[in-house]
Amino acid sequence: MTIIWKDFITEIKTRELFSSMFIFALLVVIIFIFSINLSLIQASEVGPGVLWVAFLFAGTIGLNRSFMLEKENGCLQGLLLAPMDRTALYFGKLVSNFVFLLIMEVFTLPLFMVFFNIDLLPHLLPLLYVIFVGTLGFCAVGTLLSSLSANLKTRDIMLPILLYPLIIPIIIGSVKMTGQVLAGEPLSSMMNWVSLTLCFDIIYIAISIMVIDFVLEE
Amino acid sequence: MNEQIKPDSSHSIIQVQELRKDFGCLQALSGVSFNLNKGEFLTIFGPNGAGKTTLIKILTGLMRPASGSAKIDGFDALEGNAMLRSRIGVISHATCLYPDLTALENLLFYAKLYGLDDPEERANESISTAGLQLRRYDPIRTFSRGMQQRVAIARATLHDPSVLFLDEPFTGLDLQATSDLKDRLRGLHTGKRTILMTTHDISCGLEMCDRVAIQSRGKFSLFESVDCIDQSNFKNLYTKSLEQ
Repeated sequence: MTIIWKDFITEIKTRELFSSMFIFALLVVIIFIFSINLSLIQASEVGPGVLWVAFLFAGTIGLNRSFMLEKENGCLQGLLLAPMDRTALYFGKLVSNFVFLLIMEVFTLPLFMVFFNIDLLPHLLPLLYVIFVGTLGFCAVGTLLSSLSANLKTRDIMLPILLYPLIIPIIIGSVKMTGQVLAGEPLSSMMNWVSLTLCFDIIYIAISIMVIDFVLEE
Repeated sequence: MNEQIKPDSSHSIIQVQELRKDFGCLQALSGVSFNLNKGEFLTIFGPNGAGKTTLIKILTGLMRPASGSAKIDGFDALEGNAMLRSRIGVISHATCLYPDLTALENLLFYAKLYGLDDPEERANESISTAGLQLRRYDPIRTFSRGMQQRVAIARATLHDPSVLFLDEPFTGLDLQATSDLKDRLRGLHTGKRTILMTTHDISCGLEMCDRVAIQSRGKFSLFESVDCIDQSNFKNLYTKSLEQ
């Protein structure tokens, strides 16, 4: 909780993380809007892919920034010297990243709705569930890999290279579920995708707990 | 191994035996052994790349050695358990402070991380001890290097550690800040606290320590009580030790 409190206080003061993620997500949506001819293609067909690409790229910026803050002035060393389990450090950063990303996604949804002319309101609850599950998996593996890449000189390049292949199952599941939700299908009709995404969330969190001690060691 | 490196270990708060650490083909530590008694102040001198920071990182549980053993206050330092970490404090040239948080918020954050009772009171006390009560609500990024180092000392001593590790704490400080830091370190050393410091500043290092070591090429080439060495001739001794 202390790490989450510190991350929120820092973000409230700087607004660096939210603003950079939100502007990036907005730009991605705008670029796609101008490159897709929506009179030929149904918005609900391409929309889910665009939405998750925006979340993914903006989220990567957030993950990179998250551990960069800890590397400044050797703060990560200060955290590692505190008498707490390193799993607690992982969960603190995971929750912070997850909440920041969710806030950015919630702000992006109305703009997506306007640009793609899709009425999200009738599907809002199942859509938020899909976003919640997809974002959790993305942050679970992303937090682990950002802690790993924080020690590398090429961290800006390494994080996406390591992260994107691992989150393919989660992103495919999330895009498929989002598409079906926007088509008006209930969540119960896509249990295979829900189960797949949830399974990967659990697997990635479990693996992170097992390896975080080694990842954070110098 | 010389006699001084293996004194009476029954009173030792730090016991280090044959620590070795390699980074690829580079040997950072090649069999460091020493004991330090409770309340003693050890200063380690050595050139860049001698393995001083590596030694501190291993003793504080931030890094694993290739072989050897180290105990601090009865705890195995190589396991890096939470009980040990609650007994040690580390100050280095990196302040471990968040630049966008105020001095008080930084100390409050660390007080909460260390699970201290009444963290607000402890953070306020520490910032007063550091002489920065008027700047407590200012962000760390607006502080001078010397003031940041004072907050860093307050951070490292919030939980009243019995052993303090100082890794080149004088780096980047001006004369006044160096003098302030020396006064603060003397205050911290008074009484029970054991201190292990690495530095390049010979006069500062010799002034405060009870024991002195010279580390070169990953091992101690000298480990003596400061009373047993000729301080006026220490620079020559240092140069000779490096040549050995």
